[in-house]
Amino acid sequence: MTMRMNRAVAAGILLLILENGVVPWLVPSDWSSRLTPHLTFVLLVYVACFAGRHRAFLFGLGFGLLSDILTYGNLIGPYAFGMGLIGYAAGLVMERSTPTIAKVIGTAAFGSAAIGTVVYMIYRLFRLTTWSYGFAFYWFIAPTLLLEVLIALALYLPARRLLLKPAVSSAEETAA
Amino acid sequence: MLRNKRLFILMIGLIVFIAVMGFTLGRTRLTWPEKFLNDAFGTAQGALYRPASAVADFFGDLSRLSDVYKENRELRKTVAQYAQDRATYNFVEAENERLYEALGFTEKQKQLYDYRYLIAQIVGSSSNPLDRTIKINLGSRDGIKPEMAVTTTDGSLVGLVSRVSEFTSTVEPITDLNVESTGGVQIAATIFGKEKESFGIIDSYDAETGMLQMSKIDENDKMAPGDKVITSGLGLVFPRGILIGTVVDRQVGDFGLTQKATVAPAAKFDHLREVFVVVVPDVNGP
Repeated sequence: MTMRMNRAVAAGILLLILENGVVPWLVPSDWSSRLTPHLTFVLLVYVACFAGRHRAFLFGLGFGLLSDILTYGNLIGPYAFGMGLIGYAAGLVMERSTPTIAKVIGTAAFGSAAIGTVVYMIYRLFRLTTWSYGFAFYWFIAPTLLLEVLIALALYLPARRLLLKPAVSSAEETAA
Repeated sequence: MLRNKRLFILMIGLIVFIAVMGFTLGRTRLTWPEKFLNDAFGTAQGALYRPASAVADFFGDLSRLSDVYKENRELRKTVAQYAQDRATYNFVEAENERLYEALGFTEKQKQLYDYRYLIAQIVGSSSNPLDRTIKINLGSRDGIKPEMAVTTTDGSLVGLVSRVSEFTSTVEPITDLNVESTGGVQIAATIFGKEKESFGIIDSYDAETGMLQMSKIDENDKMAPGDKVITSGLGLVFPRGILIGTVVDRQVGDFGLTQKATVAPAAKFDHLREVFVVVVPDVNGP
């Protein structure tokens, strides 16, 4: 079971555009600063589960950096760092086992909490935020985690169908 | 050996990232790859953001249909008031011009408050909860510069232009204001109708309560809850007279010498479609 990385990158670019262009309209006004789902992060979880840690690391680093540059507020780098790190870690954990839906969702949940924490800590380190960790967790990490888990669940079938090379057809190709 | 190599790469990576973050902190200029990426993605996002906003607004309008009658009555009252104000304003403006001439104002002084409003469409908003930036479809080609004020279409302050590329620019909303932050911006503010007597500085935003904080208010200041806070324009960088919000309450400040007030922001910072960028005439330039 191998992943089509070209398609994964194309899907990543599409999801990044959707993330900044369409998703803000789908989130209700009162929750707009609390629910900030990262669609590319959800895709990163799939890359980590299906394509291994090295590809996940590069994928996370690249799309993290892209999203940092596009939403450049105070500094560039938190998401590049966080997504690279978490892509690698998730790949490392998932590499030895067959990815089932429960494992993918679990990885998405832990990864989402971890990336929120990493980004918060970087902002805290550079004194760009004064929130306590408890408040940050309550304010955006936990709601975003729940939403990202739901998105991961919704994307499970499309991701498997579109991003994986089916084992059967590759056998047919070699036969033909 | 392999373990060591991995550790070594991790260390180098960490150092590089800390360096990149430190270097990009508080920088306003963009390099050309950043500009290119911003413009390319900005254009693509714009093509999606506008239809999405139109659809969302349509459903929003449907649910607001019952309020239209009430809103219409309010608007009629406002228009009647506006007609009276307009007459007074014309007299005052003519008088002002005559006095400018009489006092020998230079051309530059006369144009000091001659602001231009450029309308910009929003093409995207950030998904980073700690940096809620907004992207607009005007850039350096259209004369946008960093630190220009950005307002909603009804004239309340949204934020400041923070970074500019060729065709798009990034707006930092005033909800990112933070007095303890290293890159903090402070906005000089006064009270509508008491411009000569009131002064304070809007310097931070509390996400939990959704309120701005105004500090460095004089003890004898006449401001009271319910007053409208506007930008004062002192310093000539920021335009004057832009609505920021409403005073909610007022208490003694941290050191007891000055007072601080809580201000409810007038603008909403999400689901925006269009904004104005306020261009202040360049008083220091040629």
